[in-house]
Parts: sequence; structure tokens; C-alpha cells
Amino acid sequence: MNVYEALLKIQSSLLKKQYLLRLGRFFSAQVLIQIEEDKYFLTFEKGQITSIAVNPEIKMPWHFAFRTDELALNEFWQKMPKPGFHDIFGLVKIGRAEIDGDIILLIKNLRFFKEVLALARNKDE
Amino acid sequence: MTTSDIETITGRYVNCKIDGKMHRIYFEEAGRGEPIICLHTAGADTRQWQHILNDSEINGQYRLIAFDMPWHGKSSPPIGWETEEYNLTTSVYIETILAFKEALRLDKPIIAGCSMGGRIALQLALSHSDKFAGFIAIEASDFQPAWYDIDWFHRPDAHGGEMGAALVSANIAPQSPTEHKWLTQWMFMQSGPGVFRGDLTFYTKDDSLLKTITKIDTSNAPVHILVGEYDLTCTPENAKQTANKIKGATLKIMPNIGHFPMSENPDEFRPHFLEALQKMKC
Repeated sequence: MNVYEALLKIQSSLLKKQYLLRLGRFFSAQVLIQIEEDKYFLTFEKGQITSIAVNPEIKMPWHFAFRTDELALNEFWQKMPKPGFHDIFGLVKIGRAEIDGDIILLIKNLRFFKEVLALARNKDE
Repeated sequence: MTTSDIETITGRYVNCKIDGKMHRIYFEEAGRGEPIICLHTAGADTRQWQHILNDSEINGQYRLIAFDMPWHGKSSPPIGWETEEYNLTTSVYIETILAFKEALRLDKPIIAGCSMGGRIALQLALSHSDKFAGFIAIEASDFQPAWYDIDWFHRPDAHGGEMGAALVSANIAPQSPTEHKWLTQWMFMQSGPGVFRGDLTFYTKDDSLLKTITKIDTSNAPVHILVGEYDLTCTPENAKQTANKIKGATLKIMPNIGHFPMSENPDEFRPHFLEALQKMKC
């Protein structure tokens, strides 16, 4: 599963998670997920991901960005990630990710965003 | 309900003067024998220790006592708190533990503290080792600067407890049982406004132990440091460096455990705690 496929899985899985949609009901924002050179712009509207734009040709605004590398993200998506790879702030702490932009917006919605990003985690391994 | 449904733990209150003010302190205890004072982490309370206190093998040999720090859990903030900014300091933290020990007339208890409780255990090992039988310093190091902005956790436009819980979940190992992961976070969600931030003032800004840690004398009372491999705040490397600075200190790195061993994975933590108690007899 590549990153785009994983993000699509997150988008569809989120619709089946009523408790997450409730947690994210006040979250409407543009989030940039950057994996090395590739940029994925996720549009959240009231907790739902309404679009995923990949490397758009036009400049797109974003509220906060999460940037990491593909190996780190794949480890994050393992059922039992190694220490540091098990959490987005863990990746930041071990120097494998960066978060910038409106961090307060992220922190206010941190549980929601962490759980959304973890929806691509392989639970059957 | 039968009597077997009732847990061994009992809770009471004691009134102590700390930093010139009276405090109503809530404590829980279980068992008889050599006393152990159990200290919770920042932004939490005695419930972190409930599994150890309820453990019949441990409470059959020890008197386990956990108390909520002032401002935490069921301990009240002091009169006038509504205009006060809570910021924990090393001196007040030490005074609190000594006042509690004195109020309960405990003779040379063991100290078992986690995170900021582990840090203060090391401070007590430095300055008051004659008053204690030993120190179990869990997720403890001589200093940890913040890797986040502690002001995130006390602002009028958001729930500090929910944000604090979401951040500290980074410190919980993925192997921890789901039930315990969420009860560990629930304590942070219930923390009073500004309390987690005030604890972190002590934990992330007071670096005084850096200059003095090598002076800890373990010949008076042993020091055993425990650290979880998934702890991002006090990493195994941080704990190892700290243990190496204390002559005679011992260290155990705990696999599959994060920053909240007692509450996030009680079964996994149990053997490490039993081993730590054996170290206190050395």
C-alpha cells in the first residue's frame, strides 16, 4: 500500500468511525502531509476528509503540516511500531518528522488527528 | 455486591502545613509491613498506583501509601488558589513529601516515584537519604527540558486536560492494553486547570540536579532506576546516563512499556517492581 492508497483508506475508514467523526465535528482545516518530495493536501470539513490533492500544480494553503519520510511513516503504520515510531510526536522527538504551521489548532484536535492518521495502521499483522 | 468485590485500598485525608499554608491531602493505602510512599506523575493522581496497591503479594509484605499531591486528584488546592498560579518547585515538592511522611509518622519508608515523582526521588536521595530506606525512581532522569510548549496545556480557549492526555499518549507503549491506555489518559483529562503545566514547570525547567547528581550517596539508601523502552520523555538513554552518574545505582530498561508503567500496563510492570523491591534490601 503506497501513501496515497493509505490516505484513501484513512478517508473511507473515518466515515465508519462515528466516535471519531464526533470528536472531529469542529475540525475544518487544510492539512499538508508531506512525504519527502510528495505533498498531499487533506481537506477536513467537520471531521470528514472531503478531498485529497496530490502534488497539485497550483499553490494550496494549509493550516498545519506534518512532514516525514516514507520509511518512518510505514513503520508508524505497523501494528506494533518501534519506540519513537508509534506516535506522530514520537517521530518528531526522534528527528524523523516535523510539524509546523498552526500547531495550536493541531493540539486542540490532537486526539482526533492522531487517531485519524493511525487508521491506516495494519491491525491484522 | 459481596465483600470480595471490595478492593483492599482505603482512602483517607490528612491535614498538613506546606509552604506556610494548610493543605488537605488525600491518600490511599493498602497492606502492612515496611512502608512505601508512592508518588504519581505530573498531571495525574494516586490512581496510577491502584494495581500495585491492590496486589496481594506486594501488600502482604509492604504498607503501600499513595497520596495526591496538593492541587491533584482529591487533594485540595490551598485557600486562595483562585488568584494563584500553580508552579511546583523542588523545595515545595520535598517539603510536601517530608510533611506527609511526618504526618503519618512513617519510619524510613521506601520512596517509589514515577516521572516527576522519580525526579524528586533522586532529589530526596541527594538531600534526605537518611530519612528513607531506598529510592525506586521510575522514568527518572536528572533533567528533561520540554520538547513541547508547556503553555499549550493551560489556555482559556481549549481543554488543557484533553490536550495533555492527547500529548502524553505519545508516551504510552502500543503493547499496553487498551483499557489501561485510556484510564491512564482519563486521569490527565480530569486534572485541574493549569496543574499539569505547573508540574511541568518543575519537571522541565528545574535543572538543579544536573550539578549535584554525582553527590548522591547510595551507601545510605539504594537507588534503582526503571525506564520503559517506549518512554519518549525520559528515554532509556536519558535514564542510563543518569544512572551512570550515581555511584552504586542500578538500572532496568523495561521492554514494551512507556512512561506510565504502573497504570498503562500493570501486568508487564509488576515483575520489574518486585525486582526493584528486592534491590531495596541490598
